[in-house]
Amino acid sequence: MKALRIAFVGGYFCAAMLPLIWLLLTSFKTRDDSIAVHPKFVPTWAEEVAADGIYFHANLDGYRELAEVYAGGDHAFFHYLGNSLVIGLLSTLCSVLIGTCAAYGFSRFAIPGGRDWLFFILSTRFLPPLAVVVPVLMMYREFDLQNSHMGLVLLYTAFNMSLAVWLMKGFIDEIPTAYEEAALVAGYTRFQAFRLVVLPRAVPGMAVTAVFCLISAWNEYGFAMTLNNQKAVTVPVYFAGLQGNVSGLPWAQISAGMLIFVAPIIVFTVLVRKHLLRGVTFGTIKR
Amino acid sequence: MKGSMGRCRDWTQYAFVGPALILLISINVFPLLYSIALSFTNVDLVGGAWKFVGGFNYAVAFKFAKYGAALRTTALFVCVAVAVELVLGFALALALKDRFGGRAFALTALLVPMMLPPAVIALFWKLVLNGHYGILNQCLGALGLGQPQWITDPDLKLLSILLVDVWMWTPFMMLIALAALNAIPGYLYEAAAIDRASRWKVFRRITLPLCAPLLGLAVLLRATDAIKQFDLVMAITGPNDPATQTVSALLYQVVFRDGKVGLGAAYSYVVLVLVLALASVFVRYMSRVQRREEAGAQ
Repeated sequence: MKALRIAFVGGYFCAAMLPLIWLLLTSFKTRDDSIAVHPKFVPTWAEEVAADGIYFHANLDGYRELAEVYAGGDHAFFHYLGNSLVIGLLSTLCSVLIGTCAAYGFSRFAIPGGRDWLFFILSTRFLPPLAVVVPVLMMYREFDLQNSHMGLVLLYTAFNMSLAVWLMKGFIDEIPTAYEEAALVAGYTRFQAFRLVVLPRAVPGMAVTAVFCLISAWNEYGFAMTLNNQKAVTVPVYFAGLQGNVSGLPWAQISAGMLIFVAPIIVFTVLVRKHLLRGVTFGTIKR
Repeated sequence: MKGSMGRCRDWTQYAFVGPALILLISINVFPLLYSIALSFTNVDLVGGAWKFVGGFNYAVAFKFAKYGAALRTTALFVCVAVAVELVLGFALALALKDRFGGRAFALTALLVPMMLPPAVIALFWKLVLNGHYGILNQCLGALGLGQPQWITDPDLKLLSILLVDVWMWTPFMMLIALAALNAIPGYLYEAAAIDRASRWKVFRRITLPLCAPLLGLAVLLRATDAIKQFDLVMAITGPNDPATQTVSALLYQVVFRDGKVGLGAAYSYVVLVLVLALASVFVRYMSRVQRREEAGAQ
């Protein structure tokens, strides 16, 4: 029984990690080695490697060439990474700030229909982007928000609102009300009590929430692709657009770019690992 | 404390929750209402003159064979993906429940795939799945197995997308199942051991029923997500492949390739009804689980 268990977990683990390890190896390969018919999984410094051997010539060309513009693209990878960063960070900042305020409101006041409003907020999470994108596109044309960073920031802020409100409500519910009551008695206004007493205690929760909002904006593809074709193209859209390349895909560069793009996510996943359960269940399960 | 705020309480509470609600109403609710209007017109993506066409788009939508096929593909995708992920994730959770050296590392590493960008990582999966030089077929070849053409064989395309989805989301099921397993009080197992209950009986009578509420939550959450499947389809086969065209992919094809905004809006309404029905089941279920969690915590 124990052997079976180890075999199952070990087998699944190896299978699940294989694509990620392959991504890492491919990013150091030459173009020919990356699509070799014989699997090449042992890096070597040697310039010349046998075509049917297991060795490949490890080099950093994939990373170096990220600074160059590929055929079919208008800019180099880092331009799109910049777009992703600006849009991701700005929308995260807005979601967390607005979400924290709303969560505080729902946590501390008996707002009429409060529970219904909360579930309305949650239900916006389930809208398929492709079902909403048509009217949003028409609306953005009116307000000249199409093809702009602002347009995506606004959209991502709205779509992360459910996550931000629900997660933050979970965190704020855990902050005892005694502190604010003392502050209110001492003559603070509600807003002062929120800013000076509650916010400092909510910072760890806000950090966790920010990580989840950032990852969801960072990974988003449907909206980013349909609303932009020139200016505010994010990395997922850029990679997807390379597919039509006639000369074949430069896998080493793509792998290098993907690694750079997913590295922050992996770091954040490790950082918030204790809160992952909260994050993926909108704070329903807190253990 | 509630009630101690005096007269200014009313506007204060709305000042806190107002911005979030206004944002959601203007970016989510308004577009949905706007698209009802669009679905009764023949608006084109590139603009130009349009006119009111009544229920024409809905009539076309329901007659269009591709739409039925897309609904079937989506249903098949959701059912298979969620079922496989549930079974595999639950099995992993059972196997990983007890402490062992390196458990924390293994768990964190296993959770990574579900955090990755689907559209980006699916492009890499195309290299992994490639029939000639993909590592998957190279592994299968080394084991003396066949060389399936994962991406080009029409019978295997949907399976390839399912494979990537299972790879991404099995950890999600595992994570929730682990939480459910850890919440089962140890004395139940001790009592079962005293009664000399068989392993299977313990699993049937204790483990499964006590995990069921959280697993149900996981299934609903996964299903509402899988029904929107778009990123993987776009990356692996493109939006117009009959073997893998999900509803979202069809919507993309109709609106952005064919330029038929009105028809797209009509389609999206049918999808929305389905998604919102599922979401309302989820929301109701979730508030029940949440109440139970809160009661359990006290």
